[in-house]
Amino acid sequence: MRLETLQADFGTTLLDGSPAPALLLALRDRGAQALDRLILYRGNLHTAWEKALANAFPVVRALVGEEFFGGLARAYGRACPSTSGDLNRFGASFAGFVSAFEPAQALPYLCDVVALEWAVHCAHCAPDAAALLRERMAVISPHTLLTSRFALHPACGWIESRFPIASIWRAHQPAAAIELPESLDRGECALIVRADWRAEVVESSAAEIAALEQLRAGVDMDGAIGAAMAADSGFDFAKTMLRWLDLAIVVDIR
Amino acid sequence: MQRPPTISRSPLGVGIGLRPAHYRELLARERCVDWLEAHTENYFGDGGYDLHALMRLRERYPISLHGVGLALGSAAGYSIEHLQRVAALVRRIDPVLISEHLCWGAIDGRNFNDLLPLPMTREALDLMSERVMQMQDVLQKRVLIENVSSYLRFAGDDYGEAGFLNALAGRTGCGILLDVNNLYVNQCNHGDDAAAQIDAIAPEHVGEIHVAGHLVTDLAVIDHHGARVADAVWELYERASQHCGAVPTLIEWDTDVPALGVLLDEAERARTRRDVCAQGESCAA
Repeated sequence: MRLETLQADFGTTLLDGSPAPALLLALRDRGAQALDRLILYRGNLHTAWEKALANAFPVVRALVGEEFFGGLARAYGRACPSTSGDLNRFGASFAGFVSAFEPAQALPYLCDVVALEWAVHCAHCAPDAAALLRERMAVISPHTLLTSRFALHPACGWIESRFPIASIWRAHQPAAAIELPESLDRGECALIVRADWRAEVVESSAAEIAALEQLRAGVDMDGAIGAAMAADSGFDFAKTMLRWLDLAIVVDIR
Repeated sequence: MQRPPTISRSPLGVGIGLRPAHYRELLARERCVDWLEAHTENYFGDGGYDLHALMRLRERYPISLHGVGLALGSAAGYSIEHLQRVAALVRRIDPVLISEHLCWGAIDGRNFNDLLPLPMTREALDLMSERVMQMQDVLQKRVLIENVSSYLRFAGDDYGEAGFLNALAGRTGCGILLDVNNLYVNQCNHGDDAAAQIDAIAPEHVGEIHVAGHLVTDLAVIDHHGARVADAVWELYERASQHCGAVPTLIEWDTDVPALGVLLDEAERARTRRDVCAQGESCAA
């Protein structure tokens, strides 16, 4: 039996079921022992999927419970193959899968939480950048500021949702200082930041996101403020700028 | 209370696996072990805390990069892109050792993210040789290839594990990472004679030894790296040290990772056993 055929048959057995007769003949182990050992490998595969997803999606796991999460991981692993030898990449299409996964329809906010956790997972290993210093900002004239373009931290990202996903995320953190939101009937903008080494989620606003979208697209600060004011005429630029420095959202000015 | 650091005089000496749970303590204290082995794929990011910790630790410790994701023996689904990412990390870290496994793990379009067993055939040896030579070409370094634990064996093998590894090293110039716990696990699972496998390994090719804990279950012995090293494995380690001389040795512990002190204690045990062995005439490399 050629190696490629052997591996393809082995792989098919790991995924769904009964081993091809040719594979069983190629094994030195026989009968029940061969089947038991093949099932051990299948168990390894399920464990690898579940561990990798649990690592990237701890809040989702807490929301749905261990048992449901295990079933979800197996369904996802079968439907959407891991295509990298780096398991940290497994889960990139999990949000899309969950949004179409019938048993998860009772939790309409779930796929947005999945998308948020994937963004956080990717932010953990995004390139490093140091926050722009307040001292550097302090010497910039208002006119220069308005015509400047700002580089955002590579780990910085945002997700807008019809549900309070930032609050849900924060309530599930180990040292959570907030309770789960009482009502899920309001939207939130979640901002992913990495001021320290750990990626975090903070609640944002449509105006702040509008400004950040402009800055990331290379528009100057004047344009960014304009976009924010269009979303919310009460947008407080000075306060927002300080927050961007504190959270290491802006890392360079040019 | 911290034990005083003991550093072996022999090149590299005894290392431990680097786990995120120990970053802070390792960064805060004086050098406490000879070297560290990091799982290559965990440092593929462009930045972030894991890479930052490794970059700082490499200033203090020799680093070994141990890959678990290349799946070198996969006939289809092998990824050059993955090898390029290994190469990028090797350039960043400048490791003292680089290793991968004698296994397969992918088919066309799907990766199983496991160290699956290869048949020990000439066809598998041809494929492994080609892949190892390519790996060494791209990395511009000699690599070590490790024997894996397995739950299954194939009929019609042309080689034993030791014979396969010797032939692979002879053809490609790679070294052998001899995992004595995996030999023991395979002895339990398949009736292989682990001591005979050690005796059959060509000692000049062995560049590193792994010792680890395992888990005994009804179905099979599982190489879970989540316990202290068993006595039977220590005995095999002594045999390997006698056979190969003082080889860089790693304490592997990946599941239910204990306090750093427990790993250092295991490292100390390995050091003692190896040094006792190294004093004997028969142990000279």
